[in-house]
Amino acid sequence: MKKKSLAAIMAMVLCTAILAGCGDGGKDGITVGISQFAVHGSLDNCREGFLAGLAEEGFVEGENLTVEYVNAQADTGTSAMTADNFVSKKVDMICAIATPTAMTAYNSTMNTEIPVIYTAVSDPVEAGLANADGTPVGNITGTSDALAVEAQLQMIREILPDAKKIGIIYTTSEANSISTVASYEEASPKYGFEIVTTGVTAMSEVPLAAADMATKVDCITNLTDNTVVSALQSVLEEANKANIPVFGSEVEQVRAGCVASMGLEYYELGRQTGKMAAMVLRGDAKASEMKFEVISEPSLYVNYAAAEKIGLELPAHYAEDAYQSFDEILVH
Amino acid sequence: MALLLSVLEQGMIYGILALGVYITYKILDFPDLTVDGSFPFGAALTVRLITMGMPPIVTLPAAFLGGALVGVCTGVIHVKMKVRDLLSGIIMMTGLYTVNLWVAGTGYVAIFNRETIFDNDAVNAFFPGAAGRLKTAVIILLITLGVKYLLDWYMGTKSGFLLRAVGDNDTIVTSLGVDKGLVKIVGLSIANGLVSLSGCIYAQQQRSFEISIGTGAVVIGLASVIMGTSLFKRVTLLRVTSSVVLGSVLYKGCVALAMFAGIDANAIKLITSVLFLVILVVSMDRRKGSLSQRRQHIT
Amino acid sequence: MRGNEGHMLELKGIWKNYNPGSVNELCLFRDFGLTVQDGEFVAVVGSNGSGKTSMLNIICGSIEVDRGQILVGGTDIVRQKDFLRQRRIGRVYQDPSRGTCPGMTILENMSIADNKGKPYNLGRGVNKAKAEHYRELLRPLNLNLEEKMDFKVGSLSGGQRQALALLMATMTPIDFLILDEHTAALDPKTAETIMELTDRVVREKKVTTIMVTHNLRHAVEYGNRLVMMHEGKVILDKAGEEKARLKTEEIMGIFNRISVECGN
Repeated sequence: MKKKSLAAIMAMVLCTAILAGCGDGGKDGITVGISQFAVHGSLDNCREGFLAGLAEEGFVEGENLTVEYVNAQADTGTSAMTADNFVSKKVDMICAIATPTAMTAYNSTMNTEIPVIYTAVSDPVEAGLANADGTPVGNITGTSDALAVEAQLQMIREILPDAKKIGIIYTTSEANSISTVASYEEASPKYGFEIVTTGVTAMSEVPLAAADMATKVDCITNLTDNTVVSALQSVLEEANKANIPVFGSEVEQVRAGCVASMGLEYYELGRQTGKMAAMVLRGDAKASEMKFEVISEPSLYVNYAAAEKIGLELPAHYAEDAYQSFDEILVH
Repeated sequence: MALLLSVLEQGMIYGILALGVYITYKILDFPDLTVDGSFPFGAALTVRLITMGMPPIVTLPAAFLGGALVGVCTGVIHVKMKVRDLLSGIIMMTGLYTVNLWVAGTGYVAIFNRETIFDNDAVNAFFPGAAGRLKTAVIILLITLGVKYLLDWYMGTKSGFLLRAVGDNDTIVTSLGVDKGLVKIVGLSIANGLVSLSGCIYAQQQRSFEISIGTGAVVIGLASVIMGTSLFKRVTLLRVTSSVVLGSVLYKGCVALAMFAGIDANAIKLITSVLFLVILVVSMDRRKGSLSQRRQHIT
Repeated sequence: MRGNEGHMLELKGIWKNYNPGSVNELCLFRDFGLTVQDGEFVAVVGSNGSGKTSMLNIICGSIEVDRGQILVGGTDIVRQKDFLRQRRIGRVYQDPSRGTCPGMTILENMSIADNKGKPYNLGRGVNKAKAEHYRELLRPLNLNLEEKMDFKVGSLSGGQRQALALLMATMTPIDFLILDEHTAALDPKTAETIMELTDRVVREKKVTTIMVTHNLRHAVEYGNRLVMMHEGKVILDKAGEEKARLKTEEIMGIFNRISVECGN
């Protein structure tokens, strides 16, 4: 009997919690539902950039714009339900951050008028969201975070004139990573590099893979691979032991200890996406008619503290060329 | 409306998974973790067949048979190689990750512009205009009911009786001159066939496959089974199989309610586990009652 | 009735070591032998650990022997799997819940037992036409079970379940009936009822029966042969006229003597 009343109390607490969360925001103006796939530094930057881009175009959160944000916690079931929830609330637009949420958002809005703007989708064609010529398959467009592979290879050649082998650790289940590895393999001979790859299936395998990799190559370069980036510190540790540099693929990785990166600024990518979204919201353009966009100019990021740690000298002109440089390693 | 449909659709799809979990967890008394691998296995097989241009209807029996084969493997590992039940499932779940990648090709596959069991000429002709919004839910309902009645029928056959007996009291199965290991293998294969079928329908409803869709599938299944069997225990008109499917719809409903109410998605997992606990505690009370009853009979 | 044809059971040169190679090593049987003639009803008594139940488990295949032969009608079945052997054996356990399925109804339990020896295929599990036949079988028990055909067996009392288990074990043609202290968990009155029922079933079916019991009076009163076991050996074996002349007190005397030797 005691247990039953305890259970009843817990159920009541739960109901109250649900009801307490019931207060909805203002219904005036425009509502955008943001569906983000996971908690992740670059995806968060993307979202902030997106809101900034909208604000620059006159859609300011809290004034004439209501934003509903759901993070799917890397669960596709939740991400599908999030999209259905947005459709059911008749939001004016869904912003999907990362490939799985873009796919579920497109699926849920297929028979509606709601446009979907995505960002941080590495290969929209592969994900079935765009045709080979970049035109959308439906009422959906956005920006891609495909890596600037050639610029990165050029930078590595400049920093390490004698290097021969570049190591890449990637997750075998991430389609993004597989296609980027292919791009690296295709472009590397032009810069005189050989690519050495190791596939992993889980974060726990990364330290071993990194330790093995560090003995075989002259440097390691990262992708935007979610699993490997989550285990970045173990990659850095093994590389430091072997005294070889690790290159990042975007600013957060450089901040966390990678030597340099010719990479994406996710905040900028988000901003660009926000501006595209504003065009659609204003009615200036239709999502179904806009090609997806990529960032045209990659930016250089350097971390002097990380270079010093392994006794690496960076080219002098980087001090000026760098979009952003760091003098310390920031580990969250 | 869209959310309600979504709850019904997902609830019934996962209801088929829950029926599979019901067979292993409640009938066979076997905590089968293979489910986390066999659910995406069905989905992977489905997107593969569809991209190969197979007619969508073929995916349903194919996924069931594929999943049944997976279940046989778990059963053989457990029964013939004498590996503990939990470990057999873990071994299969881990191995299936790679198999699923092979089958699907990559970690995610989209089938947006392909024909599915929900979106093909025959179905579209049958649901013209505004009725089109309901077609997915209606088709899922028909499949789920079909599966439920088939399972009810099977449980009433001689073979089904053995399955019930082996979880109830496996000594008697040996006494009846039947290899109880074989009965367990049959049970596991039916269960994983259903789970894989559920993954097949899920992939077509979502029009995509993603390698991580299986993560936590066994938890959703267990929660649905426990919610369904304990909440609807008193409703004598309902068969257990119906209760299990309803439990699954209810589970998805709770998740949607929490989301619709604006609760932070980050908190949903905690809320689910609290809800799960509450139901477990309530149902445990009852089980304890029946146990003491049994003891009275013996003395 | 005695003869070498039919289903004579012979245990020959049985060796069984428990936990070999460990400190708990226990040698239960050293060159154990026992012959049971076709149609015999053997009551087996003995102190705890004398090997009575182990012997039943060896016959049924529930435990494997290290060495020896189990001959049924001259054929060695020692390597045959337990479930294959049990196709021709009916067995009732001490624990009433082991001989029935608690989650299934009486009708379902009887149907599943009635199908023993036939394939368990996709035919209907319950044969409605046979329900009346099952009721007829239950009626002589006087336990009112025939009115409870749709009750789950788990809701029955221990005695009711044991009666049902006995009925289920003997529904189909079997060569041996193995009773493993099947009245020990019941209250004295129910135990008497079950014993009388057992005797009737054994007489009707003329089935070779081995009954292990702790109740010396039952061992003396029922059956046509009495075997007493101690530390893995047969120390007393009386059949026919000799058995008929046995008194409970006599057996009790021998039994107490060996128990005292053992110190319990």
